[in-house]
Amino acid sequence: MKNEIKKKKALAHQRTSYSFLSFERRRVVEGIIFIIPWLVGFIWFVAIPLLLSVKTSFYQTKLTDMYGGKYIGFENYLTVIKQPAYGQVVVNSFLSSIYQVPVIVGFALFVAVLLKQKFPGRVYFRIIFFIPVILAGVIMTYLTTEGIGSISILSGSTSTSSTGILGIISTMMNGSLAGQIGNIMWKSSVEILIFLAALQSVPEILYEVVVIDGATAWESFWHITLPYISPFVILNCIYAMVDSFVDPSNPVMKIVNDLKDVGSFGTAAALSWMYMLMALVTILIFVLLTKRWLR
Amino acid sequence: MNENLQKISNYFTELIKKYENLGYKVKKKILFIIGRIFLYYVLIELAFLFVLPFIYIFTKALMTSADYMDATINWIPTAVNWKNFSEAWKALDYTVGFRQTIITSLGSAILQTVFCALAGYSLGRYKGKWKSVIFILVVLVLLIPPQTTILSAYGIFVKMGMINTFLPILLPCLFGLGIRGALFILIYMYFFQRVPDAMDDAARIDGAGAIRVFSQIMLPLVKSATVITFMFSFVWHWNDNFEASTYMYRKSVQTLQPRLQNIRSYYSDIMMKSTGADSLAQKALTEPMLFAGCLIVMLPVLIVYIFGQKRLAAGIERIGVIE
Repeated sequence: MKNEIKKKKALAHQRTSYSFLSFERRRVVEGIIFIIPWLVGFIWFVAIPLLLSVKTSFYQTKLTDMYGGKYIGFENYLTVIKQPAYGQVVVNSFLSSIYQVPVIVGFALFVAVLLKQKFPGRVYFRIIFFIPVILAGVIMTYLTTEGIGSISILSGSTSTSSTGILGIISTMMNGSLAGQIGNIMWKSSVEILIFLAALQSVPEILYEVVVIDGATAWESFWHITLPYISPFVILNCIYAMVDSFVDPSNPVMKIVNDLKDVGSFGTAAALSWMYMLMALVTILIFVLLTKRWLR
Repeated sequence: MNENLQKISNYFTELIKKYENLGYKVKKKILFIIGRIFLYYVLIELAFLFVLPFIYIFTKALMTSADYMDATINWIPTAVNWKNFSEAWKALDYTVGFRQTIITSLGSAILQTVFCALAGYSLGRYKGKWKSVIFILVVLVLLIPPQTTILSAYGIFVKMGMINTFLPILLPCLFGLGIRGALFILIYMYFFQRVPDAMDDAARIDGAGAIRVFSQIMLPLVKSATVITFMFSFVWHWNDNFEASTYMYRKSVQTLQPRLQNIRSYYSDIMMKSTGADSLAQKALTEPMLFAGCLIVMLPVLIVYIFGQKRLAAGIERIGVIE
């Protein structure tokens, strides 16, 4: 009896030493191999430049020499914290970003559900709601800056003296709640497309089943569609948050750019690092809170 | 007044009664029609805001400079002036610019789609503690604006002698970075998480290796993710001015967006040499052509999107097993 057990143990030992990884271990190694290319790129193109920027935030820098200068410890961070104006701006822009997120995501979901329907002319509407992505880049700066009767709905700035129908619309849409809604709608087209792709992947059979059981469209939305696309609601919330945190029109980003123009790279780096960490922590808390909702 | 109200309410109660007496099929039809009217109403109302800038560009692109200066003409030009387009074509050096842009954006779209899918697959399908670390890093990458790192990245590319080639834009894409690569990884991650484990296990029992499971089982199941990643990547690289003008600044290798930015100065240079005209007249001459330039730069993206969104609709029937 004892001998048999010994034999079995020896056999088991042999087996593990032959295929030196168990099935679970092998799966982990596989996963890591899949991510390695990304990690290499991350270290090469992101981590090294980022560490330089961290280093800058601990040094006193000059306009002529961004990476040189004297080591001053946390001085730059203290300068930022001591400025009451910065704190106010950071908190304000943070809160306004967080307000915007549910509105953007809700609106995007609404439009995506409408666009998923099969109706004549759907293609045209799908194109129209994608226009904000196409009109980005240089074209956008042409539309929003001087020279041409600027469309201030898009820039979100105060009204400039433009004439004609465009002027009427821009004054109508400006500053007020309507203007903000227009701005938010314009921002949500990436989210609309992500939702549209997610909605297309909901199996059609599920809807057929609940229709036979006598569910209304409203009920099937809450019990089929929403649970099925819940990961994408979270994804879109993450993206909407990131998008509004790093938007160039964000007041904090403006301060950072102004500081860079003046030449105080150290202070700029310190401010942007603190802001970035705040944003990262917010997003991670959001992801942790919504994790239970996923499955 | 009160009587009138009474009449109206009576009328409606009767209408509702009539409706309730109707057959099931007719009821359904009426509801359907009401739904459609609501749908079109809401969509047209919303679409107005989105389409307005587009119409603006289009009408301005057709105007002659006289029309452009005329304050009474806002939307409809007196005559269609197609010459703007040929002028813009020449000013942009469109054929060369198009070649440059299509290589950068198509190349990086393909690379990003493949390599972000790999990274997203790893995050979405495998378990382990290392995953949460990688997830935090991906969100961090998404959060960093390109302006923060471009200076040091530029230094790296100068050292490798890659400036004014396609490589500074294509190389990060090869590692799943590039413009908003982190977002694509997250999209793939969430799509892969949705796929039931049964698919994976079945393929593995049949003896498929990791690469085979990825390429032949999993990737076809998340076709929607592939389509939107490709589309977004293409469009964002096409519209990118910041990176393209930093890495490919020499005139002969510029992509379309930097060319579009320079189009203003191109025209005024010629004018200044020949006539020395004042700035207002210059603007009147340049501006319509500039909008025509915007249109022809935009057109390929629009075509890609129109074909892409059709694919989006075709990806439905692929998910077979439901948990």
